[in-house]
Amino acid sequence: MIEIMNAGKTYQQGAREVHALRDVSLSIKKGEFLSIMGPSGSGKSTLLNLIGGLDQPTSGEIFIDDRPLHGITDDELTLIRRRRIGFIFQFFNLLPILTAAENVGLPLLLEGIPFSRIKPKAVSLLEQVGLGARMEHRPEQLSGGEMQRVAIARALITDPAVLLADEPTGNLDSHTSEEIFMLLAHLNEKGQTIVMVTHDPKAAAYGTRIITLKDGILSEDISLGGANS
Amino acid sequence: MSVKYAMLGILAEKNLHGYELKSSFDEKVGEFWSLNYGQIYTTLDRLEKEDLVTHDLQTQERRPDKKIYSITRKGRAELEEWLATPVNKVRALRDEFFIKLVFMDKNDPGPILELIEKQKALYLKQMNRLTQQKVRLKKKPEGNVTLVTELLMDAGLFHAEADIKWLTLCAAKIRAESGEKSETGGYP
Repeated sequence: MIEIMNAGKTYQQGAREVHALRDVSLSIKKGEFLSIMGPSGSGKSTLLNLIGGLDQPTSGEIFIDDRPLHGITDDELTLIRRRRIGFIFQFFNLLPILTAAENVGLPLLLEGIPFSRIKPKAVSLLEQVGLGARMEHRPEQLSGGEMQRVAIARALITDPAVLLADEPTGNLDSHTSEEIFMLLAHLNEKGQTIVMVTHDPKAAAYGTRIITLKDGILSEDISLGGANS
Repeated sequence: MSVKYAMLGILAEKNLHGYELKSSFDEKVGEFWSLNYGQIYTTLDRLEKEDLVTHDLQTQERRPDKKIYSITRKGRAELEEWLATPVNKVRALRDEFFIKLVFMDKNDPGPILELIEKQKALYLKQMNRLTQQKVRLKKKPEGNVTLVTELLMDAGLFHAEADIKWLTLCAAKIRAESGEKSETGGYP
């Protein structure tokens, strides 16, 4: 479903060239829950940004459902990102003036769809993430874990091909974190493809497959299916 | 040692015969601790000698009498004291991996560092397996047994995580010792 072929990313840092990612090839199947591990500076966030269309590779190719994410215009990339990819971040990035339901509907509101048409789906997603009783609450009235649940529901409103998560519980205590990972695991069981970046082995262990990056190179590939490093 | 208290704990809830005791043990802690009937009966004999449990005979037609075990007042007191006492023993440091480290060639850190990476990958895989089990367990209806099992799985996960962190530190120190420029190796 996601094909990454010999992807590389080089940044210019003053006079120095930084190779954030070197010749990474990776195939992510539909329904997989992939954890990408590595210490800071290993290239894991760069890889996630490439998959999410937030950045383009300096070499190599990336496809989502056979459609290229490389060598296309920024407008085309924005469209794919908005419709095919869901994001959740460490800081939940909710709009403080909107209710939970409105925050969930935001990606479709931005497309010009009226909220009355979005609301039933927003409500159903909030119920799915266990926030049926919090529809009309604003972010300041929610706990950290609840805000991340809203963010997950928002990421799912476009039925994305893949849900991308960047240290999604970096700001939560360990019990709340576990509830968020359990939610992700259950979404994955229902078929949602998930790619998550983390430096935390406990978080990574929720993946059905774990890869490790080291200095921009893929160093381990572990899956319970059998094949591994 | 703890078999004794596990059995006292079970008998504190209900009087049982040996076979039922084994079933109850399996139901409560069988996920991570297996006992055979021999161990059950030897422990029961010992507990009886110490006056911690006693038994009544239940007569059965055409079959030998059945011993129904119950906890004594002394047994209950000893169980309560044990339950209230924190465990003083720190996890053993005599780890097989540690012994390997001792006997590896310090002048050639390459193979040690490679071993450390392999060991870390193995622990990560263990954590992965345990976490997937936990995800499956969480889908079942909750109950006391599943909560305790889950807490034990958590303990396993925290231990494996600590081992991974320790191995990462080992690698960093071995690199520093061997004069190699310390790089950020693998996960934390």
